[in-house]
Amino acid sequence: MTRRALLAVLSAALVAVAGASADAQGPPSLVVQASTEPPGLDLTATPASATAGVVLYNIQECLVKVDRHGKLGPWLAERWHTADNRNYTFFLRRGVRFHNGRELKAADVKYVFERALNPETKHPYAKDYEAIGDIIVKDDYTVTFALKSVNANFLQNIARQGSVIYPREAVDTLKSAPIGTGPFRFEDWVRGDRIVLVRNQDYHVKGLPKLDRVTFRFITDPNAVQAALKAGDIDASLFGLGAEHVQDFQKDPRFTVIVGDTTNDVILAMNNSRKPYSDVRVRRAMTYAINKPDVLKGAMFGMGKILGTNVDPLNPYYVDLSSAMPYDPSRARKLLAEAGYPNGFESVLRVSPQYQYTVRSGEVIVDNLRKVGVNVKIEQIEWAQWLARVFREADYDLTIIGHAEAWDIKNYANPKYYFRYDSAKFQELFRKSEESVDDARRRDLYVQMQKLLVEDAPAVWLYMHPRLAVAKKGVQGLWKDLPVPAADLSEVSWTPAK
Amino acid sequence: MRRYVARRVAALAVTLLFVSALVFVVVRVLPGDPVAVIMGTEGGREAGDRLRRAMGLDRPLPLQYVTWVAGALRGDLGRSIQYDVPVGALILSRLPVTLPLTLLAAAFMVLGALPLGLYAATRHRRAGDYAAMIVSQIGISVPQFWSGLLLILLFSVRLGWVRSGGFDGWSAGVGPALRSLLLPAIALGFFQAAVLVRATRSAVLDVMREDYVRTARAKGVSEPRVLARHTLRNALIPIVTVAGIQLGQLVAGSIVLESVFALPGLGRLALGAITARDLPVVQGVALFVASVIVLVNFAVDLAYGLLDPRIRYE
Repeated sequence: MTRRALLAVLSAALVAVAGASADAQGPPSLVVQASTEPPGLDLTATPASATAGVVLYNIQECLVKVDRHGKLGPWLAERWHTADNRNYTFFLRRGVRFHNGRELKAADVKYVFERALNPETKHPYAKDYEAIGDIIVKDDYTVTFALKSVNANFLQNIARQGSVIYPREAVDTLKSAPIGTGPFRFEDWVRGDRIVLVRNQDYHVKGLPKLDRVTFRFITDPNAVQAALKAGDIDASLFGLGAEHVQDFQKDPRFTVIVGDTTNDVILAMNNSRKPYSDVRVRRAMTYAINKPDVLKGAMFGMGKILGTNVDPLNPYYVDLSSAMPYDPSRARKLLAEAGYPNGFESVLRVSPQYQYTVRSGEVIVDNLRKVGVNVKIEQIEWAQWLARVFREADYDLTIIGHAEAWDIKNYANPKYYFRYDSAKFQELFRKSEESVDDARRRDLYVQMQKLLVEDAPAVWLYMHPRLAVAKKGVQGLWKDLPVPAADLSEVSWTPAK
Repeated sequence: MRRYVARRVAALAVTLLFVSALVFVVVRVLPGDPVAVIMGTEGGREAGDRLRRAMGLDRPLPLQYVTWVAGALRGDLGRSIQYDVPVGALILSRLPVTLPLTLLAAAFMVLGALPLGLYAATRHRRAGDYAAMIVSQIGISVPQFWSGLLLILLFSVRLGWVRSGGFDGWSAGVGPALRSLLLPAIALGFFQAAVLVRATRSAVLDVMREDYVRTARAKGVSEPRVLARHTLRNALIPIVTVAGIQLGQLVAGSIVLESVFALPGLGRLALGAITARDLPVVQGVALFVASVIVLVNFAVDLAYGLLDPRIRYE
């Protein structure tokens, strides 16, 4: 082929490209980016936040709902009643229909929770329902849960992603085409590319949802996400961008950047069962040696909030202990000397580059620790390996990860959890808090637990990972904070600027 | 010829068996299992153990392998853990993206590299040659994901001619589908073309030094005819060899570019499956890609016979 022919081919291709511009997007539909494709859409089979991000509050809902401010309120149950904190009676909202047209009845609620309790179904949160002794259907709209013992978390658990209500007849398609009562119906899942939801015309909340159609598009590479936003191919990125990418959008007048709170606590975990971290003096020294504001600046460009313990700012019992053990390298050196490490020691920090912020936080921390004589080598391992070696087998010295679950202080009461923190005192406090339904009493126990954690320093709590979302100007109604791992789009509306 | 084909088919079977065993062992020897990924940091340990048993992952490794091979022989590659659909169907559903992408990139590669390589050879050690070599050097040096991003920045963010990524499927029309594949195919083909330019140039240069080329010129044959009939045809054997190897590399390159352009192709399927430890999918894709590469090599070998009638397969 000659040069001229080659040019002709290329220019023909370019003309074909230029001829057709992007299709005009008619409102009100929204294209949202998601970083990770859900491993199935069944919330009763996977704890994956990628699944909750699509399904929870969009396709399926619970008896009670955590709202955008983190407050628990009535939802599919219009109210509930308990006289003794043992028997909870829920009164279902009437006229709520599943996407298949059938009305939600009390028998569905009974079925859903009995199925969750059945070990055969492999529900990831089966433990949360262990307190349930009996579920009694009083009539079509009234159902009573009889608990074996008082459980302060019962309502919280009923509001969680594993507690969504679905119709019994659709149980076999939960994974690929879920049905619920939510504002959107599942329409299509093009594996590897997108999930499409459409408006539920019969939604039980009048006037909602405001969008006709929502498309979740899976784009993993953050650079590609940035390009897609700028090129107008997606309208919003709710979870996919890191602090390093958001900066650019803050300067761009075409976009709104949301920086909010989450329940995601980023921690430097220490293996409490391994030397030298079995010594509380060493653990405290680590806390004093780390300059948390520096870490936040280096890893998150200063976005997020510094933590002092493992309760996030969205929790009603949160106490600000972020300055309880401030940066103090000389004190750290003294504590290390007392513990028998006047010249410091060597250690390995295992992080997974799947979560870039952990690697960046690690780099700052390594630098901090070097100043007190602790030489840390960073070892990057793949996520599946991290889960197997660090999380499951506790084969590690140090690691950094975000704990996204709300109310996860409970992990410190589990001596087998990968922290390997074993404190009888803490376990006792936690047990009491589980049995106390009186708010003031419970708050008091939570304050005690938080102070004990600071004292024992089983981990270094670094910062709360901020919610970082970018949307085109004109997209309204997105949640600012994320008290639950949901992307509730029911109240989102938008008027494309043009 | 028949014996030759039979030998190749036998070699294919052995290769596939070897690849499958290798992939099987490697993905299982790696720490991390699908259950750990599914359960993440939140699922309970007991729930995980129950799931592991239900998926048959607690059985001995050789038994799992035999079960899988037996299934594969019947055409059943198992079910995806992540998607809960048959692996075979999943692979087939990704082909409409990866196949055209690879073919388009291969077309860019050949159409770009052959003329440029030929041109460079005819301008040996002159400005045109150096220019062509500089271009190909750049092509080899620039990582594909980066050139992909640059193309996105220019053509979709700045100019807005094509979208930045994604694929709506062929049902949305041939034009839009080709437009979605154009940039990734260019990014993919450009790098491979750069390699092929160098191979073409040196192959053509070698042949141009042959006596019969001098003879042809001495006879007064026109230069284009010398190039096309006497030089290029004889130079094609090393070029076809390199191009054949590169076809395999195009499949590998598509893994990276499908991520950059958010295309639901085979490469992204494989990448996601590895991350999620979706073992049946990883095995299925590896087996499929290995088969394709073996078949391409087979086709290349047959092409030798067409290009040079002296080559016989016995």
